[in-house]
Amino acid sequence: MTRRARLLLCVLAAACLLPACLHVALHMPPFGAHPLPYGEAINALATRQRHVTNMVSAVNFDYRGLDTLGEEFMLLGAVTGTAVLLRGSRGEQLTARPGRVGNRPVAPRSDAVVLICRALAALTVLFGVYVVLHAMTTPGGGFQGGAIIAAATALIFLGEGYRGWRRIMRTGLLDAAEGGGAALYALCGFAAMAAGWPFLHNFLPLGTPRDVFSGGLMQIENAGVGFAVAGGFAVLFVEFLEETRAERDGDGA
Amino acid sequence: MSQALALFPWAAATWLLAIGVYAIVTSRHYVHLIGCLSVVQSSTYVLLLAVGYRRGAGPPIFYTHPPGTPAVDPVVQALVLTDIVIGATVTALLLAIALQLHKTRGTLDPEKLRPMQR
Repeated sequence: MTRRARLLLCVLAAACLLPACLHVALHMPPFGAHPLPYGEAINALATRQRHVTNMVSAVNFDYRGLDTLGEEFMLLGAVTGTAVLLRGSRGEQLTARPGRVGNRPVAPRSDAVVLICRALAALTVLFGVYVVLHAMTTPGGGFQGGAIIAAATALIFLGEGYRGWRRIMRTGLLDAAEGGGAALYALCGFAAMAAGWPFLHNFLPLGTPRDVFSGGLMQIENAGVGFAVAGGFAVLFVEFLEETRAERDGDGA
Repeated sequence: MSQALALFPWAAATWLLAIGVYAIVTSRHYVHLIGCLSVVQSSTYVLLLAVGYRRGAGPPIFYTHPPGTPAVDPVVQALVLTDIVIGATVTALLLAIALQLHKTRGTLDPEKLRPMQR
């Protein structure tokens, strides 16, 4: 299809959709006063029913727990796909050198950068674990905390350089965290079924509200999500940074 | 004035969707196209958070406020939260496909990549 025809088709489709969009836009409830029956019900009931104070986590890990399981496996599928696509054509060598652009010299890292990155990476991991652990009380959870932990691995890369970073990042361990986290979430559901409850039924003691370890089964699901997200993002970093390394004889195309 | 401001979130979401779709249609590079897809996706974040907003309400976290204080909708926030994480990994998958495409075909211009062409 030519560029012109493509644009024409787009304009035609937009013209067909526009009346429906306008109709919806003009009948939207006013901003800030939208009726929120589902959200209001959760805000009113979740602290009493599930003993947690973070409603977003209550939705993610309990009321809509099955959806989060699906999202968990979408994450697993996307990361697996990326790993298969990039790893398959490359082989797995841990000793490869980083790629270079032309004859540009690689400047040595200053001690200040190495020091700051080491200190900050440790603190970032700590902060990520803190965010994962506080899912049930204050803003936090496995999704956010996992992404923060994975971001720390980028800091390690900055501070240690490709070779040192690659020694620390064990692909097998990261793969296990990614797959194991998703499996842990699914097993939470099956454990409830094995004991005679519905899938993902929150059968563990709920604890007291405002306690870090309240929420029962949600805690375990949250830890599974934390592992899966941290492992998944770290695998993605490894795969994409591996792509920048120089190719040697005998490597696949 | 407040009437115009009340329309602003819907307008922002529509604008992000429209500009993203237009850029996808006219894109000449797959990496650019994947970036545009993220723009389209961010329109859903704006829309969802705008739907869940309630004037004068606080966050749906009852750590310091007792339950029952007005709070915004936690359901849409949970949706956006997972949406962002999934979006990031799907973008990575698409970029990996683009990378492999560039290795085998040497170009990322959709105009030059006819389907099923050897």
